[in-house]
Amino acid sequence: MKFIIPRIALRNLSRQKKRSFLLGGAIAFGIMIVTLINGFAGAFIENVSENFSYLMAGHVFVQGAEKTASGKRLSVIRDDSIIFSALRDSGLDYEFATKTSEVSASLYFEGKTIRQTLTGLDLATNLFLRERVVLRQGSWDTIGPDSIILSEKIASRLNVLPGDRITASFQTITGQNNIADFTLAAISVDSSIIGSTMSYVDLAYINEAIGLKSGEYMALGFMLRDLKAAEPFAARLYTSMAGMGIHLFERSAGEEGTATTPFQAMMRAQRTEDWEGSRYSVYTIDDIVSQAKQIVVALDGASLVILLVLFAIVMIGINNTFRMVMYERIKEIGTMRALGVQRKEIKSLFLNEALFLAIGGAVSGIVLALIAMSLLSLIDFGMNTPAFMIMKNGHLSFFVPPLRAVFNVVIIAILTLLAAYFPAKAAAKMEPAVALRTAK
Amino acid sequence: MSIIEVRDVKKTYPLGKVEVHAVKGVSFSIEKGDFISIAGPSGSGKSTILNMIGLIDKPSAGEVLIEDRPTSGLSDKELTRLRHEVLGFIFQSFNLIPVLNVWENIEFPLLLGRTKVSQAEKKEWIDWLIAEVGLGDWKTHKPNELSGGQRQRVAIARALVTKPGIVLADEPTANLDSSTGEQIIELMKKINRELNTTFIFSTHDAKIVDVADHIIRLKDGLIVENRRLNGADSMDQVKE
Repeated sequence: MKFIIPRIALRNLSRQKKRSFLLGGAIAFGIMIVTLINGFAGAFIENVSENFSYLMAGHVFVQGAEKTASGKRLSVIRDDSIIFSALRDSGLDYEFATKTSEVSASLYFEGKTIRQTLTGLDLATNLFLRERVVLRQGSWDTIGPDSIILSEKIASRLNVLPGDRITASFQTITGQNNIADFTLAAISVDSSIIGSTMSYVDLAYINEAIGLKSGEYMALGFMLRDLKAAEPFAARLYTSMAGMGIHLFERSAGEEGTATTPFQAMMRAQRTEDWEGSRYSVYTIDDIVSQAKQIVVALDGASLVILLVLFAIVMIGINNTFRMVMYERIKEIGTMRALGVQRKEIKSLFLNEALFLAIGGAVSGIVLALIAMSLLSLIDFGMNTPAFMIMKNGHLSFFVPPLRAVFNVVIIAILTLLAAYFPAKAAAKMEPAVALRTAK
Repeated sequence: MSIIEVRDVKKTYPLGKVEVHAVKGVSFSIEKGDFISIAGPSGSGKSTILNMIGLIDKPSAGEVLIEDRPTSGLSDKELTRLRHEVLGFIFQSFNLIPVLNVWENIEFPLLLGRTKVSQAEKKEWIDWLIAEVGLGDWKTHKPNELSGGQRQRVAIARALVTKPGIVLADEPTANLDSSTGEQIIELMKKINRELNTTFIFSTHDAKIVDVADHIIRLKDGLIVENRRLNGADSMDQVKE
């Protein structure tokens, strides 16, 4: 046929420009919406991980654990030289390391109380935290040894202002009850649900309060240049530490079919497994936030449902249009059949036209989505938006997995071909004499 | 030698609950190189007979033989192939493909089926046909940019492009003014002489009927006259 049928099909699209534009436009609109959702979902997990790593001050973490003679499990790194030695041996590179300790405490102020996790880190030197945590009141310059930084939400519930003294009660690592006083140095902007629950205190001060000695802490976080390097970094560090004879908790892939993250699975193993002495855990930020992947799965599922619903509607339009087209071109069908065009080629003519319409619409939809993504990502929502956790530096960001885009185009092509199939079949079945007589 | 033989062909159409007997049993034969007019008033069965000879409609009874080949047992695919190889069509409403230009419309049948023609040979042949029908300056024009006469000239060139033995023309001048109609018939006659192609055309225009060298006249689905104008009249079948 030397491409004459596809050539005619392509040109036929330009015969009813308005109709082709509307049908192609409907396809393009559907694909654009779906691609935007896919693009948002594609960047979601990376943005959440990246933002979380700044709040947690690391992409990869090493946590120490110790079991006392009485069987109590302590979270502590007594000597980190062995970890840094393993790092040097494996030639791993990182931007900076942050030592942290965490304690669950009750905060009291003038009869009000709230339960909160206090994260202790070196407030004076942790520049990355200063970049990410936006202060609503107070200043980084007023940070002292007993300082505490609370989020707006927590500060409001406690009704405290910078300079107020807050009392915290907690348990030391050995299980003794203890209290400590903190001075509210600053109030941070509620940047997200997670961000609003973070309270920062000075590492040395909290360590002393919970009974850790100088130089001791609970976890070591490594900030890397690229989030994508986190998993290989963690894997090599784990291997290197294991090679040096350090006892490690096995890294977990999470529990399939449950909402349990790899991090939660590892913590559970620490509680349930039979072990003694001191051990270390190596995990990444992805191991902690992998639950966010379920949101991505949900978004992808929703986009597929939208795709199918939108195109069920478009399919009805395409089916009706092609039925109409068949009657409009009945004389041409009869002529072509008389001239020697076979039935299957008539069917192919209609299907080619539908395919060109689908591909044209789908590609336009992807291009429109890419333009929309570029424009949306230019808007600066700032760092103090509640949606901060899902953004990249206060901007919406998108990533469309190429295979997903191809999948969407293929789905649309199949659905459009399906919609045009029966009119195409009816056109092919038409007897040439009947077609020519009807046209008269 | 008969290029077409029609043997006691009948055609009945269902029309609602009644049956219309469009052709009531006709027989005739056509020789190679004939220039035949099938004449008769509207509803006499001219187009139905042409459609059956053109293998785009099947007789309800009887047999149509094309180049001595019976056609009644052929599948749709075989009939389509035979139409493409042996027959050319000219329609009353020209029936050009609107999205193709003059050259492409004429080329179209050559791109169908299993015909293998070299590019150079094809170009030379199509250019000759275009020159023959007098459309040398209109090659790249679309059908909607042409007059009725020009469109019918394109249709004639398209009908001839596969070098068919038989060209069927259903009322080829009906949508043209009388002067253009005469030119079209002249052109068909000229090609008939030059290429020895058999032309069978239906018409109810008496002036055009006279140009033919073989006239088959129909009335109410029956042949009332079957006459060769070279003197050898042949009344294969005459029924009142």
